[in-house]
Amino acid sequence: MRKHKKRFVIVLLLCLGAAGIAILYGISREKKTRALSLIYIPKVEDGSNDFWTSLISGTRMAAEDYGVEITILAPDNETDVESQNEFLAQAIEEKPDAIIFTPISLTESNDLLDQAVQADIPITFIDSYTEEEVQSITVATDNLEAGKLLGEYARTFLDEGEEIAVVGHVQGASTAVEREEGFREGLGALSDNIVDVVFCDSDYEKAFDLTVELMEKYPDLKMIAGLNEYSFVGAARAVKAMGAEEQIMVLGVDSSQEAVSLMEEGIIRGIVVQKSYKMGYIGVRETVAMLRGETYETNVDSGCELVTPENMYTSDIEKLIFPFDSDESRE
Amino acid sequence: MRDRLTGKNTLGRFKSIQSVFFLSMSILLLCAVMIVTAVSLRYTRGSIFENSSMYTQTIISQLNQNIDSYINYMENIADMLACSEDVQEYLFGEAGEECQERLLRQFDTILESRKDIRNVGIISVNGQALINDGTVQVNENLDLTTQEWYTDALENETTASVSSSHVQHVVEGERSWVITLSQGVENTSGSEAGVVFIDLNYSAISELCDQSNIGDTGYVFILDPEGNIVYHPHQQQLYNELQTENTELVMTAESDTVQTGSGSGEKLYCISRSENTGWLVAGCMDVSSLLADSNRAQSIYVLTAILLVAAALLVSSIISRNITLPISRLRDSMAKVQEGDFTAAELPVPSENEIGSLTVSFNVMTRKIQEMMAQMVREQEEKRKLELRALQSQINPHFLYNTLDSIIWMAEGKKNEEVVIMTSSLARLFRQSISNEDEVVPLMREVEYARNYLTIQKMRFKDKLEFRIDVAPDILNVPMIKLVLQPIIENAIYHGLKVKENKGLLLVTGRREGENVVIRIMDDGVGMDKETLSHIFERHKVNYQSNGVGVYNVQKRLQLYYGSRYGIRYESCPGEGTTAIITIPLKLDREGSRSPGESGGSHEEA
Repeated sequence: MRKHKKRFVIVLLLCLGAAGIAILYGISREKKTRALSLIYIPKVEDGSNDFWTSLISGTRMAAEDYGVEITILAPDNETDVESQNEFLAQAIEEKPDAIIFTPISLTESNDLLDQAVQADIPITFIDSYTEEEVQSITVATDNLEAGKLLGEYARTFLDEGEEIAVVGHVQGASTAVEREEGFREGLGALSDNIVDVVFCDSDYEKAFDLTVELMEKYPDLKMIAGLNEYSFVGAARAVKAMGAEEQIMVLGVDSSQEAVSLMEEGIIRGIVVQKSYKMGYIGVRETVAMLRGETYETNVDSGCELVTPENMYTSDIEKLIFPFDSDESRE
Repeated sequence: MRDRLTGKNTLGRFKSIQSVFFLSMSILLLCAVMIVTAVSLRYTRGSIFENSSMYTQTIISQLNQNIDSYINYMENIADMLACSEDVQEYLFGEAGEECQERLLRQFDTILESRKDIRNVGIISVNGQALINDGTVQVNENLDLTTQEWYTDALENETTASVSSSHVQHVVEGERSWVITLSQGVENTSGSEAGVVFIDLNYSAISELCDQSNIGDTGYVFILDPEGNIVYHPHQQQLYNELQTENTELVMTAESDTVQTGSGSGEKLYCISRSENTGWLVAGCMDVSSLLADSNRAQSIYVLTAILLVAAALLVSSIISRNITLPISRLRDSMAKVQEGDFTAAELPVPSENEIGSLTVSFNVMTRKIQEMMAQMVREQEEKRKLELRALQSQINPHFLYNTLDSIIWMAEGKKNEEVVIMTSSLARLFRQSISNEDEVVPLMREVEYARNYLTIQKMRFKDKLEFRIDVAPDILNVPMIKLVLQPIIENAIYHGLKVKENKGLLLVTGRREGENVVIRIMDDGVGMDKETLSHIFERHKVNYQSNGVGVYNVQKRLQLYYGSRYGIRYESCPGEGTTAIITIPLKLDREGSRSPGESGGSHEEA
């Protein structure tokens, strides 16, 4: 009798245990993961610049899709290293789960970035990087490739001896250095035709003035290549203003509404467009994957595309250069 | 080897009826519960899945109709504009300021009333255009022939064309993603002269799609006939190659629902195609979320099954115990009866079933056995008493004959005194043997009897026999069974002293030794060798010369009455004599003396 009672008790306990485990399992499944907090510090937030606008909206969208909080701390000017560093210091104090950073300078943020690493805050670089490799993840356009694409395209319009000028954005910035290098590579033998390289410090006005100066200095100038949106849009404005569109063709990297209009007008003959939205989105996505201990890529090339007056109305290019924002269209 | 052993053990553990019953019932119940659970799980999963996909299909069809009627409504607006006199006048007549004003007011009204209309405008083949409220300019640099919505409208004269999702370049300074409805306008001569267009933003469509609630993870998207995305909740991610949508599958689907993927990535697409626009409205859901209800149902089923099994085990354990309890009680009782213990024989009758009747039969049987055994004991007792009485009443005829012969001889020799002694002794002997019915007498009487007997024998054997009786007075009242001393004395005389050449002495002593009384009958006769001594208690050694009560008989009676620890013991040495030692307890405790036979049984039981 006693043996049976014991056996019955064991069976009952097993049943209760199974039920308990089932309930616990159900509860644990409903537990949610804590929202991660990220801080993104771009070079600039500027509504007229499609590159930054869509990059930042990409980071925001990814944050929403992956359920993380993101704070954007952006300087007003793409050359303002000081305020960017202030934002970086502020971000380190706030101790987010990760800092996503687009350095303006190759060197000047190094100390602060070291501090962040010491505070165990992982760094993700988007678009640009610094000399020191403090980052866990880099998401950027292969700027060498972008420059090369532009150079190869430029070569189709040029004959020997025809002069080219380059308007860079910020001297020493990784993107500027690499794009110029790629551009020369793409031009091949014609790279000797580059007569001058100037830097506009990512300022339309300055780019405009420099272009005017270049046109005066080199009256036979055939082509101006701008290495970012400020550079080539400023240059195109100058060309338009001087009525030199028949003589000088403008090429560039990045896009904006104005750039598209200038392309429709025939002043700009080609732009290499970075996939900025994708870049921002992937930057956040991979950072979140890293923080959550999932598999992630440490180095992502977000890619670029050449836009010409011929292909600018195709669906693929429209998708790339005109941000689709259903929220905005609702207004 | 080890396995076989444990296997044997396991089998051995389930030998009892209770275990077998419990085990088989449990297995049966477990199987039944499991099968029922599995079947219902399967059925529930299937029906829940079917219900949800049907429900989703209904929602998608409804959404498709809503979008159709929405587009229809917009087409009507476009049609109305295209046919209006103002438009005709603007395009073909000498359009005055007034006409333009009226058109712009009309556009303004439309824009005011419909927030989902981004732009409304009219554009002629020669570049003339009126857009919105007139404050925006036409993009002069745009080559309209590169714009599909424009060329489609010119080609398709009668009905409005609906574009896919595209960027509207025609308004200067604004490039937004819209869906364009365009309608060509003919002049009276039949040639196309212009296009009326309405740009729709996504607010109305996304609202319609958002309203179609198809689960937490479900979403709705719209494809154009070429498979391009018109609307998708993640349109921007898709456009930036960050996500993909399985448009191929949806486009090539032959039925209304398609399933793809497997495991947690399994998705269900419900599709509805619009005849009007050629668009395809599709709803996509995670099958796992569809089956969330079924998973909940599953856990409830499994929990219920576990509880059922537990209850079943409890019930089967109770039932099996209830059935087997009387059986094992019966078994235990039988084991006791087997040992001779009838104290636990009368069992309670559990119920009117087979086991009940078995118990009743067992009870009747044990009762009968008990009665029979009691009767047997009584009969044995009776028999023993009768035997004793028979023995008592028998006086050896030889003894009587010889004694009477001796009396005659003495009477003839005028030995009156001796005749008197002998005759009176004989008379006492007879009286004693006949008169008393009791089985047990005080030791005194036995001694007296022995004395009378010895007196007679001494007179008969004259010089050959001398006797002395020395019994301690404190034991004279100890009860003793009758006819013990005389047969032993008789045996000593006839086998020890009679055959002796010279005069023999017979000594009878009685002493208390501890809790026992020891009576010794010693003779200095011929004695016995070991061989004779060892056969002394055998039954056939009945001395027919004595009154038939042999040593065997005495020993048997003593041991029957007092227990095996008591009785006669002989010590003898050839040529020196024989001693018979009778040991009986001081106090007669019948139960105690009988106990050795029983105590052995109860000892085994314990």
